[in-house]
Amino acid sequence: MTNSARRAAVPSARWVGQPRRWKRRALRLRGKIVVSCVLATVACVTLLPFYWMFSSSLRTMDTMFSLPIQWIPSPPNWSSYALAWQAQDFTRYFLNSGFVAVTITLSNLLLCSLAGYSLTKFHYRGRGVMFLAILSTMMLPLEVTMVPLFLIIKRLDWANSYQGLIVPFLVDGFGVFLMRQYMMSIPKDLIDSARIDGASEFRIFWTIVLPLCKPALVALAVFTFREAWDMYIWPLIIITKDALRTLPLGISLFMSSYGTSWDQLMAIAVLGTLPMILLFFFLQRAFIQGIAATGLKE
Amino acid sequence: MSSTTRPDRPAVRRRARLSLAFKQAAFGLAIILPTLAILAIFRFFPMLQALYLSLTAYDLVHPPKFVGLANFAGLLEDPLFLKSARVSLTYVLFSVVPVLPLSLGLAVLFNRSVFIRNLLRSAIFMPVVMPAVVMAVVWTFMYQQDGVVNTILGGLGIDPIPWLRSSSTALWAVILIGIWRATPYYMVIFLAGLQAVPADYYDAAKIDGAGSWKTFWHITLPLLKPTTLLVVVMNVIVAMKVFAVPMIMTGGGPADSTRVLPLFIYQTAFEFFDMGRAAAMSVFLFVGVMLFSVIQVRLFTRGDESR
Repeated sequence: MTNSARRAAVPSARWVGQPRRWKRRALRLRGKIVVSCVLATVACVTLLPFYWMFSSSLRTMDTMFSLPIQWIPSPPNWSSYALAWQAQDFTRYFLNSGFVAVTITLSNLLLCSLAGYSLTKFHYRGRGVMFLAILSTMMLPLEVTMVPLFLIIKRLDWANSYQGLIVPFLVDGFGVFLMRQYMMSIPKDLIDSARIDGASEFRIFWTIVLPLCKPALVALAVFTFREAWDMYIWPLIIITKDALRTLPLGISLFMSSYGTSWDQLMAIAVLGTLPMILLFFFLQRAFIQGIAATGLKE
Repeated sequence: MSSTTRPDRPAVRRRARLSLAFKQAAFGLAIILPTLAILAIFRFFPMLQALYLSLTAYDLVHPPKFVGLANFAGLLEDPLFLKSARVSLTYVLFSVVPVLPLSLGLAVLFNRSVFIRNLLRSAIFMPVVMPAVVMAVVWTFMYQQDGVVNTILGGLGIDPIPWLRSSSTALWAVILIGIWRATPYYMVIFLAGLQAVPADYYDAAKIDGAGSWKTFWHITLPLLKPTTLLVVVMNVIVAMKVFAVPMIMTGGGPADSTRVLPLFIYQTAFEFFDMGRAAAMSVFLFVGVMLFSVIQVRLFTRGDESR
């Protein structure tokens, strides 16, 4: 059947709307293309430093600033990675950062969820005040309390120690808030029926409540790990021994002593970002949820 | 069962229930105790001590000497402190205001239909993933006189800018990085807020014949008000605490133009060992952070009363 024959065969009213619908679809497609192009341009801006960091780590120093820009260095020069890694004890800094960040994350997962559980499912005097007190620690960032906190750590003889790096951050007011908000949605009946079955309080927490909180826990873990891996001002204050330096300290020290070896600096920058990039790719949803959760109000 | 024990039963049961309730409350208290202890020792106690130290002269060698409000009076007359406060205010203002329309705009765009949506979202999210110290190193490199930023600007016909070497541009260079990092973070929060808007609202607006601009202005924006307020507050607090980037990129220079308050506190305490003065500065910073934190806490506890 030809097109015109088909048109004749069906009631003409159906065809009146057809061009308009087609036009609307074209308009929508055009909008989609425009929006995508705008976002792609923004993505180029956000990715440029990453790209530039990586490509410059593969340049040699004498082609570092040569024009026109060689967007893909050829041949790639991988030697800067090994050179930079050996210039300082980066293996040690890396392990220190990993140990500190993982310990802080695990402890926050446990303590924040315990506190959140206590604040939502138990009744005792002063609960509301305790919650407000915990929440108000968000007003006391390290930048405000660093001077006296340093004096306390010094008095405990914890300067230049892992305890000094870790213990002040074992729990965080915001983490408690996050877990509390999530645990509010856990039905009390579930806990009560487990009690009737004779489960111990800790067992109820560990085998019933915690597994239900998995999304919140993953978000909290990602959020805490990022902050701990990023921590700079505190180690800068209390760490002077090389063996205890964390990666951010190592990188800034490297910057001040090899300030113009940009190839090696960029190589270290790549290696320092890599764990976060890997974490992001494997836990993308949790990562974004972790950030989005910082905005949750209910 | 003998009938003589029967009257006792409810009492026994009540006592058993009471002790059970007591046991449960005790467990509840026991599991929150470590958190309270750690926060008391490492957050509240230092704050009290900061208030005390701010009234003393203390150089870490000699014992603290009480000087009353001399530190505060001295600070208000110190041009370096006033300059630092001004730099911090400029940083906060100009790294918060542009982020708001940028992050909201991006979130609105992502809330429409977009090609390769997840890929683009991840790409734009990437700055959040970069550690602050790495960010400082990489941007210092990019801001070099013959670096990539000036090269790209040169391609657009703009003369090279002495980003970090001039006191008139260094702060703006630092602010730009703040915007680069903060925008995707708050975009994610706005996106979560947008996705919480019920679709019915949009359908109703469509039936009423409202255009997309009108829908945004009269429906989306009012509904996003709490999210917007939260984003502003969080962003202000983060901006007030900025440290790593100016510390590594400029050390506060050139000509004190990037010495934000946290950096000045750090230098006063740990380079000049003037703990009392540094504590007094901390009190100023605390007041700033507190003003905004109170709003944040109120937003966070909103709706709690109804529960």
